Amino acid sequence: MPGPFAGFKWLAVFRDWSVFAEGFVMTIALSVLALALALLLGVLFGVLGTAQWKPFRWLNRVYVEFIQNTPLVIQVFFLYHGLPHLGIMLPVFSVGMLGVGIYHGAYIAEVVRAGIQAIPRGQHEAAYSQGFSYWESMRYIILPQAKRMAYPPLTNQAVSLIKNTSVMAMVAGGDLMYHADSWASSNLYYGPAYVVTGLLYIAICFPLATYARRLERKLEVSL
Amino acid sequence: MKKIVYLMLSLILAAGLLVAGCGSSTAPSNQAAGGEAPEIKAIKDRGVLKVGVKVDVPKFGFKDPQTGKVDGMEIDLARKLAKKILGDENKIDVQGVTAKTRGPLLDNGEIDLVIATFTITEERKQSYNFSDPYFSDGVALMVKKNSGVQSLKDLNGKKIGVAQSATSKKALIDEAEKQGLKIQFLEFGTYPEIKTALDSGRIDCFSVDAAILFGYLDDSTTILPDRYSPQLYGIASKKSNTGLAKLANDTVGEMKASGELDQLIQKWGLK
Repeated sequence: MPGPFAGFKWLAVFRDWSVFAEGFVMTIALSVLALALALLLGVLFGVLGTAQWKPFRWLNRVYVEFIQNTPLVIQVFFLYHGLPHLGIMLPVFSVGMLGVGIYHGAYIAEVVRAGIQAIPRGQHEAAYSQGFSYWESMRYIILPQAKRMAYPPLTNQAVSLIKNTSVMAMVAGGDLMYHADSWASSNLYYGPAYVVTGLLYIAICFPLATYARRLERKLEVSL
Repeated sequence: MKKIVYLMLSLILAAGLLVAGCGSSTAPSNQAAGGEAPEIKAIKDRGVLKVGVKVDVPKFGFKDPQTGKVDGMEIDLARKLAKKILGDENKIDVQGVTAKTRGPLLDNGEIDLVIATFTITEERKQSYNFSDPYFSDGVALMVKKNSGVQSLKDLNGKKIGVAQSATSKKALIDEAEKQGLKIQFLEFGTYPEIKTALDSGRIDCFSVDAAILFGYLDDSTTILPDRYSPQLYGIASKKSNTGLAKLANDTVGEMKASGELDQLIQKWGLK
């Protein structure tokens, strides 16, 4: 029974499950570390974007505009193929973590900035009047409130971050997409390979997206 | 939780339907209705033979950046087939394919035949029909001149870049095992990407069939003299199009017998 979805091709996928499992684990590890980096950068630059001092806001703009307006593929290609010409040879895992982390950091920075700006100025002023410094009022008064606003869009960012780690397939990154590509193109059983790969991505992303929706609903009630 | 289960079930069901759908559509297509297979009739009705060829492999299938014309030994083969089916060797429509796209394009009927340095393997024969080989080529290694690498042995513990869907990886793994070497393989989507990776030092060696490799040779690189496991190129067609497969195979056979194939190989300086 030929055709791209022939039965024996499905059997081959399940026989070689370890290939897909290896990529799946890599994708999860990469996603977790990239998300940690993205959150760090996002919160830092998001706060800078609301700073009183102009150069801080410029810094936020340069980062956000530069990253948001260039494709992730080019950024990853630069890290992978470009930096070695400058004498910097990053391992491919770091390329993935930095590339995806920095890219989503820019989006998270905007989410955080929007969250902070949604908090009424009076909160800041009240904090100052109680003797809080700028960073203290951020840490204890503003960010905890902004967090609630920013949570649902942040979860959506996490979902796109996981999907975007698939860009590593283009630079032999060893992630799920790379292994699927590699496996599917050597024996040309591409039909079941990509269906299974899609299901594996759904298995991580769908619960996260559902969680985001639930958070959003909860937020509506509390507002 | 219930929702997730439903979603998964419906996806699996959809996949199952696809299997069944493709199974039923593959009824024998070379019935002797008028002595002509339906896919050949379809080509005649269309008036043009659609062929997937390489556009980045000099001498086989290469698109001249100046004229925009695709030419090479495999294009000549396609012309020969068009002449046989349609009586006019110019009635071909060539489409550039890569190692990764040529399979799916055949399956969805976008192209009738693939003549694109397509190596015949047992595994691939389960998915597509292959003609007898029209060319045999070995896997070769390209390294940077200043790397000092002389043979596969010198690549022990290093990285070799290969193309996805190419058989070079398997050929080299076998050879490396024989020599007891430990080599890491990185796979890329296209040949230019592998060359870029070689230039940036991400990989120590670029390996693919020798004929393809020569298209990427420049001042800073060199191709080692060794060749590994001969790769046999065949003309591929969709598994169900057995009539067309037979025609392609007969043509290759005739060209071999008449010496025309050797002439073609000589014309393009491939030996």
